[in-house]
Amino acid sequence: MSDVKIVRVPLASTPRRAGVWLVVCALLSSLAPHVRAADNARQIVEESQQRTQAVSQRYEGVLQVFDAKGKVSDKRWLLERLGSHGTSRMVLRFTQPAEVKGVALLVVNHQDRASDQWMWTPAIERDRRIALQDRSTRFFGTDFSFEDLEERDVDQYDYALLGDDSLDGVAMWKIQSTPRQGKSSQYTTSTVWIRKDNYACARIENLVKDQVVRRLNYLDIQNVQGIWTAKQLEMTDVKRNSRTRLTLDKLQYNVPMKEDDFTLQAIRRQ
Amino acid sequence: MTRRVRIGCCALALCLACAVPAAAQSLTQRGFVDVGLALFPQAAPGDRTQATLDVLVREELFARPRRWLQVAGGVEVRGNTHAQVERVWRLDLGDRRERRPMLGVRRLTATVTRGPLTIDVGKQFIRWGKADIVTPTDHFAPRDFLTVIDAGFLAVPAARIVAQQGAETLDVVWQPRFTPSRLPLVDQRWTVRPTGSDGLRLLPSALALPTRDQVGARWSHTGDGYEFSVSGFDGINHLPNLVAVRAATVRDLLLLRDYPRVRSFGADAARPTRWFTLKGEAAVFRARDSNADDYVLYVVQVERQTGEWLLLGGYAGEVVTRRRVPTPFAPDRGLTRAVVARASYTVDSNRSVTLESAVRQNGHGVYVKGEYSQARGARWRATVSGVVLAGRSDDFLGQYRRNSNLTLSLRYSF
Repeated sequence: MSDVKIVRVPLASTPRRAGVWLVVCALLSSLAPHVRAADNARQIVEESQQRTQAVSQRYEGVLQVFDAKGKVSDKRWLLERLGSHGTSRMVLRFTQPAEVKGVALLVVNHQDRASDQWMWTPAIERDRRIALQDRSTRFFGTDFSFEDLEERDVDQYDYALLGDDSLDGVAMWKIQSTPRQGKSSQYTTSTVWIRKDNYACARIENLVKDQVVRRLNYLDIQNVQGIWTAKQLEMTDVKRNSRTRLTLDKLQYNVPMKEDDFTLQAIRRQ
Repeated sequence: MTRRVRIGCCALALCLACAVPAAAQSLTQRGFVDVGLALFPQAAPGDRTQATLDVLVREELFARPRRWLQVAGGVEVRGNTHAQVERVWRLDLGDRRERRPMLGVRRLTATVTRGPLTIDVGKQFIRWGKADIVTPTDHFAPRDFLTVIDAGFLAVPAARIVAQQGAETLDVVWQPRFTPSRLPLVDQRWTVRPTGSDGLRLLPSALALPTRDQVGARWSHTGDGYEFSVSGFDGINHLPNLVAVRAATVRDLLLLRDYPRVRSFGADAARPTRWFTLKGEAAVFRARDSNADDYVLYVVQVERQTGEWLLLGGYAGEVVTRRRVPTPFAPDRGLTRAVVARASYTVDSNRSVTLESAVRQNGHGVYVKGEYSQARGARWRATVSGVVLAGRSDDFLGQYRRNSNLTLSLRYSF
């Protein structure tokens, strides 16, 4: 059984390079069966993570929450992230609606364990640490739980390649990820769909025991500053039959940011 | 108000005014208009009013003219049908008067950030401690107890330096000017008349506030899965001792307020376990003079968020090591020797229900509050809440047993 090398290619930024990129993608797709043969799920996820590395990220999130009856409520937040994956820090601050304006969440990710999270509530001028066992709770009435806001790091899970699949006609790898000991999670396992053409994550189904409880679809995948990014994420709470659509507006990577803006002191500044 | 404080506030206001146009990219605001109606089924001795209406308009601006500088300012305009708001149009900076100001500065702060240092100067909110219902180490947080059970916080004029390095944080506060908690008005239902005062008119004494400054320091450590702080405070208790004395006129009783000097040391900690988060907070209060009690307040609480529920329960205790004063006005101590609990349920992204209670361990006082809140659209929120107070007249909670009430409020946020 021979190992298959993942070919890292320059990302498309000009029409000519885009052409090259398509050829390489096609080549990669043709290699897919060998990858499965090698059962190298971890390598695929590693590559997928590698391709989304950025020094920083900023976007304005537009949240639309649809309940089982189809009612919509809108929220907006500004998200800033410094670093990538296991070592990143993130501040998320609500900008709309007016009554939750200023509410902020600080997430400090760790490579070897679950993240630390604090929430700042301006109405009572206090921060509160979000305990590990509380992370399965829905975040501010959305279908994202606190844990879903953490960045996944490749080293926190074990992987198994479940096979090939396709979503909307696009070829995918279907991979099962199981949290390692030390990575406390509400989910027993997750099934991840990764596109074969650009290694972008397309779907994650989170399971408790054998039941799918939350499904995250990555939609409208675009190349932003060389990083294939879903501009729309849709999280479905299967039990509640409700879903939240997050649209990434004004997305930028590698924006200059300072570490000082990602501390508990910083989130209490409005 | 001293000339020094006036100049400081004017300088900050000027700074804010200059910062606003300069920081078009980093200017944020939030505000609301809130109209609240409180209905009391029972009349109280000395106060026959059974319905009050409140209006509050709040606007806050936050500007960041430089990366290292932030300026925050907020004003409030209030109205009330039960004379709880001054009927004078003047800008109140200190929030130290008996009634709420009609036009007041809620906050006015400049924040400078340099590396691990954060310096806040101006009228600001400072919250210490981790517990939720009783917070013994929250020394720089006087409250508006005009209606006792629904007490908002008052900002204090202070300079605060916070140094954060890794998991360690040192917080030092200097408050040059004392801000007392606002007390219930003597002619209203939330002031309980002293025994034997029937037929006498209760009058407030002229308010003489302490002039000395206050200092405090708090060191916090944030560990992997736990956090704790230790703190010290040297200053004045923002809750006074109350002494009723016969006035020169035979039919008047004068209520004197005395704010004791205290020194306090405390600690608070939070430790998440597999099933719940355990929180504890305690403080030792030592009177600097012979006009106040020495005592210890402590709280142990557990909290758990599960599904749409946030559950919190605990015990607040008090140990009086030296009793000197028979009648302090002390809601913090009044909620001790009690089992406290709160449960809130988020129905959906717009609706929530909350139930909280405090029951004294001897059963002499009970407080239960239920609240239902619903948002409509992005700006409107209606809240209805009911409070039941019961118990004996010699208990802090029980003495307000005629003040059970129902409140309705409608808020428009902008």
